[in-house]
Amino acid sequence: MGKGKPFLEVLASAIHEDYRFPFLEIFAFLYALGTFVFASFGVSITAIGATSQAMATANEVIAYGAVSSILSLPLLILIILVFKNIAYGLGSDLEKGIIQTYFSYPLKRWGILTAKLLSALGVALLLFLGIQISALYILAPDIILPQLGTVFLTYAASLSYPLLIAGIMLLLTLKLRRGGISLVVGLVLYFAMSMVSGIATIFAIFTENPISLQIISAISPSLVLQQYYIASLGDFWAPAFSEVLLYTGVSYVIVAAVFVLGYTYFSRRLNL
Amino acid sequence: MKRWTTVLGRVGTVLIAISLALLLVSLIPQLQLSTAKGSTHISPEQVQIAFHSQNLNPQQEVQLEVTVEGTLKVYLLEIRVELQFVNGTFDYGFNLTDLQELLSEHPDRIRWEREVENEYYERSYTPTRVMNATLVFYNPSSETALVEYDVALKSSLAPGDKVRTIAYCAAPIGVIMALPWFVNMWKQRKQS
Repeated sequence: MGKGKPFLEVLASAIHEDYRFPFLEIFAFLYALGTFVFASFGVSITAIGATSQAMATANEVIAYGAVSSILSLPLLILIILVFKNIAYGLGSDLEKGIIQTYFSYPLKRWGILTAKLLSALGVALLLFLGIQISALYILAPDIILPQLGTVFLTYAASLSYPLLIAGIMLLLTLKLRRGGISLVVGLVLYFAMSMVSGIATIFAIFTENPISLQIISAISPSLVLQQYYIASLGDFWAPAFSEVLLYTGVSYVIVAAVFVLGYTYFSRRLNL
Repeated sequence: MKRWTTVLGRVGTVLIAISLALLLVSLIPQLQLSTAKGSTHISPEQVQIAFHSQNLNPQQEVQLEVTVEGTLKVYLLEIRVELQFVNGTFDYGFNLTDLQELLSEHPDRIRWEREVENEYYERSYTPTRVMNATLVFYNPSSETALVEYDVALKSSLAPGDKVRTIAYCAAPIGVIMALPWFVNMWKQRKQS
């Protein structure tokens, strides 16, 4: 058996389990349809000029607005798919002893987990980003091509928190060796963020102190990005671009730390 | 079943699914946002603004239908004009000098232009970014032109023709890619 063959075996098996026909096709259909249905370029050029607190240029704001609009429901669909793959895909493999079979392959444990995550996260993200960015290009090439940086930054900031929850779910699934509870925890955490950020926003507006928003931005940088581009929360917080990059970077360091914990647990502590 | 057949097959079925979504998007009818129609006489060397939008976006389309008796030049320009109240009437404050200056100094602002002479002409335009759009009629001849026009601003989810063309191209490619996989699956089912 070649060096890469066992890895491909595990990856192929994981993809086969995670995306049984026609689930992948249904999600592709929903992403494509959702992207066009929710796309909105309803940012007035004059309104942009009037937003004195916004630190970005008009074209950046339009690109940000377009990406944010198409992220609404399709992102929720992606999250459901990823959570299902991690909680049920990995959880059922642990319950049924399939992971134990993989351990007999001439493959390191981290290789097995990488193959499982590539299927659960990688394929879902590739499909999601591929369809959404292509659809945006079809709709408005002259907005998207010159503002690719803004487009990717918006995706990076918006995906950071779902990836963090995916990491926490991975840890929980490995620890509990079943997916049901981790799926519930993941969904609760995802929806709890909107409540927490709402409370933090009210606190920040009343105290005119952005500290609560800054703390949340460290795990969910879409908040700082929104404030940078459209300054919708008021003029008490005007983050610079470097600040946006910093918060996004910090959030991904946290995400990476959670996944490293998952890898460490899977490689050293998981006894089946 | 060979792994490549499966991979290509699934990519093919995904392409078919995306094509179906695009086809569905292209079938959703347009919504008319506004319309400006009328009949007007345009004197020689006179300019008239027929339509203006401050933020025409890629999900909107300007449709022009015009019937001209005489000679008329039609321009769609990427400029911002403002309606002003001067001497008891509303006016865009855009005259022949402004047009000539724009045509000579900023030809990049001309989205399209067309000379129409004693004929019916229709044209639609969908921008690829958010822009100011102004539709200008100009009579370059020495005789008055009679113009009947209908300018409609329509909104849609996506530019229908573009999306439909992509769907028509992607679907057959998807079918070709998925066919061997489907045949294999059918054979396997028949055997078992």
